[in-house]
Amino acid sequence: MGRQGDFVQLLLDQGYSFDAPHFDGRGSQPVGQEPLVKATTVLALKYQDGVMVGGDRRATAGTTVMYDRTDKVLELDRFSVMAIAGVPATAFEMARILEHSFKYYRRSQLQDLSFEGKLRALSKLLKENAPAALAGTGPVAPIFAGFDEQHSSGKIFFYDILGAEFEGVDYAVSGSGSPTIRGILHYLHRWGNQPLYQLSEEEAVVLVLRLLMSAAEFDSATGGVNHQANLYPAIKRVTEKGVEGVPVDRLKALFESKVTSHV
Amino acid sequence: MYEEPYRWIEAVGNRRQYLDDQFQQGAPIVALSYLEGILLVTFSRGTPKLYEIYDRIALGGMGHPADLEKLRFNLLDMAHVEGFNRSPSDVTGNRLMKYSLAPMIKQAFEEIFKAPFIAKILLAEVGPQPDRDQFLTIDYDGSFEENRGCAVIAATSSIRKKMLAFLKTQNNGPIDSLQTALDLAVKTWALGSLLHHSAESLDHQDDEDQQPAGAARSHEPDEKALVDHIRLALSEKSLECALLDRTLPGSSKYRNLPPDQTRQLLPALLQPAV
Repeated sequence: MGRQGDFVQLLLDQGYSFDAPHFDGRGSQPVGQEPLVKATTVLALKYQDGVMVGGDRRATAGTTVMYDRTDKVLELDRFSVMAIAGVPATAFEMARILEHSFKYYRRSQLQDLSFEGKLRALSKLLKENAPAALAGTGPVAPIFAGFDEQHSSGKIFFYDILGAEFEGVDYAVSGSGSPTIRGILHYLHRWGNQPLYQLSEEEAVVLVLRLLMSAAEFDSATGGVNHQANLYPAIKRVTEKGVEGVPVDRLKALFESKVTSHV
Repeated sequence: MYEEPYRWIEAVGNRRQYLDDQFQQGAPIVALSYLEGILLVTFSRGTPKLYEIYDRIALGGMGHPADLEKLRFNLLDMAHVEGFNRSPSDVTGNRLMKYSLAPMIKQAFEEIFKAPFIAKILLAEVGPQPDRDQFLTIDYDGSFEENRGCAVIAATSSIRKKMLAFLKTQNNGPIDSLQTALDLAVKTWALGSLLHHSAESLDHQDDEDQQPAGAARSHEPDEKALVDHIRLALSEKSLECALLDRTLPGSSKYRNLPPDQTRQLLPALLQPAV
């Protein structure tokens, strides 16, 4: 009762440790080397009903593709998702802690944690993770997207690996493939037929698919679409109704009609 | 002076007396399974009595609010740490009862130099279909029971047994709608509440436990008495309903039924006369 619904404190009281393995500088990993972890592309953009969040599904270690079915857009509760770029082990653990934190808070305090409270919770975890992030063994640079019920609007925030929090007013990107699509997003939002926030749901899904294909074109660590294996990016929308995944059948249909080109 | 066995037994007996008195003000809680989930019902004055514990587990409590809060937090802590360290599917009502609640309550009850918990608790756990739903109830002395289909907690064990018997006679086969479940639960609640009031007015008849099972008491309330009592309760207290809804998307199955929706579901018969 004394911890005011703080699940992380409860875990710490029970002996949980945040000490992720990290190098002391004398190991084989040279300090300052670009960590392999940002090898991915995730993005979130506001459209007319809320926020569309997408991520490719490739997990890599160096130049090896480890897995092609990773879901990097993780549902934390009914109204928020975290799209992860970074070391998956750390990122999945953070998502699990957050999921339990939000539930624990709601159930113990009998009210939902505010949107700002959820943002702070993620920021705190990233700060705890700073030693591993700096050592290159556990950096995570996530995007947090949610529907703020109090203000009834979709919101996007992105973080650096040390926990600094920035609001992405219209969109946010993260991961190694993100520089490619950041420029495209900027251009489309500024000089496209309409600003991004006016996109319909279908237009937003198509745009996210096209952007992830573009990222995959120029970034070896970003997986695109594997048509034969029926593998499509993970795309979720966050609206006033909550978080809903866009089903594979729909992605497939839109991919075939609006994304495939014969150039 | 409690070193002598006789004194200790006497002290525990006194505790029972004291605790039985403490539940005189309490309202019963009814929980039952239906096709789409589990319904928990009670009437309360202000302080809620029904709570969410974990993804598929709800709690109904009678007793002192401070004690209930303490036990509730204990359950929340255990459930969430377990769910995080293992998996949410490893958090079951059974484990919460056997390894957290029951030992705590029993120890407090028997440590006669300390205050016992003034609490009776019902845990409901929703499964993938009605026959996998589980109910656990625990008394103030730490003795607990497992039930299928339905469960109640009430001021005395004899009232509890009568409410359970009523549930069994009124209900033949699985309940297919929330409306039917609510109707039955509210009537069972009214029966418990009426029996409680009449037991009180008969000046704490202690012999009721000694009556042969099934013996009809002369003042066993009929349908009309139940409906009148429900009307009275609706006007004086708030009807509290919680659901463990197995049709809800996502991992958390608990939701409170908003009062206006509850009233719509109550049959016209039970609507308060305006």
